[in-house]
Amino acid sequence: MMPDHWGYVFAAYCLTAAAVLGYWRHLVRRRRALDARLRRVKAVVPGKAAIR
Amino acid sequence: MSARATRILGGLALLALATGLAAGFGYAPREAIQGNVQRIMYIHVPAVLTAYLAFGLVLVGSIGALATGRMGWDRLAGAAAELGVLFTAVTIVSGSIWGKPTWGTWWTWDARLTSTAVLFLVYAGYLLLRAMVDEPERRARIAAVVGIVGAANIPIVHFSVKWWRALHQPSTILGPESSPIAGPIAAALFVNWVAFTLLFLYLLLRRVELARLEDAWVPETRR
Repeated sequence: MMPDHWGYVFAAYCLTAAAVLGYWRHLVRRRRALDARLRRVKAVVPGKAAIR
Repeated sequence: MSARATRILGGLALLALATGLAAGFGYAPREAIQGNVQRIMYIHVPAVLTAYLAFGLVLVGSIGALATGRMGWDRLAGAAAELGVLFTAVTIVSGSIWGKPTWGTWWTWDARLTSTAVLFLVYAGYLLLRAMVDEPERRARIAAVVGIVGAANIPIVHFSVKWWRALHQPSTILGPESSPIAGPIAAALFVNWVAFTLLFLYLLLRRVELARLEDAWVPETRR
């Protein structure tokens, strides 16, 4: 029987969590940046930047 | 889908992931030969099944975009491709981490591993191509062609272990024969597969909504 290698198990789960959380955070940040830009454009040209 | 429904789906995905962890570490027993390192399979297998689903949706979205010219199909294909690349990366890295203690190597040019790496590169290229073309309609047409051609690699990855002599084990699920996996291990795999699918759907909805916003007003502000 093979030894347990918990370090490998821990590494696989942690890297997966980091990848998924990193992608989710990227989506949240991108959404916030888009919303902020939309608010700025609306402030400069009211009614012009309405989302189609 | 409304923002509230997306949030509910996110909550369900989180709950399913927690259940998956409990099933993988609490319910499923220590594997008789591999020991606890086999628990990596509870992320490796659901990740590759999720990647197949994602690339399948790229194919559907690409055909829809070419057939109808509607940008919604293109946004679906683009979002699914991004997630497919993410889950393929998880598949490759988790498989490599499992391979080191089990096979004695991080990587080998086995048919399954190589075809999965090619799948990853094809769709990474697809995303690069999308990023290089600014005009949405032109981007949709070009990306759709690559999305359709790229899908040919999915059956090659899946059947590679049958077609070529490979170090990677043959398919134990989605194979022609009944699965030889013990009940509790199969149950833990199933729970984690459901969790990964819910997570994928949640992230897909968020990415599609983001793409809709980008397409809707970014060109307006470029003028």
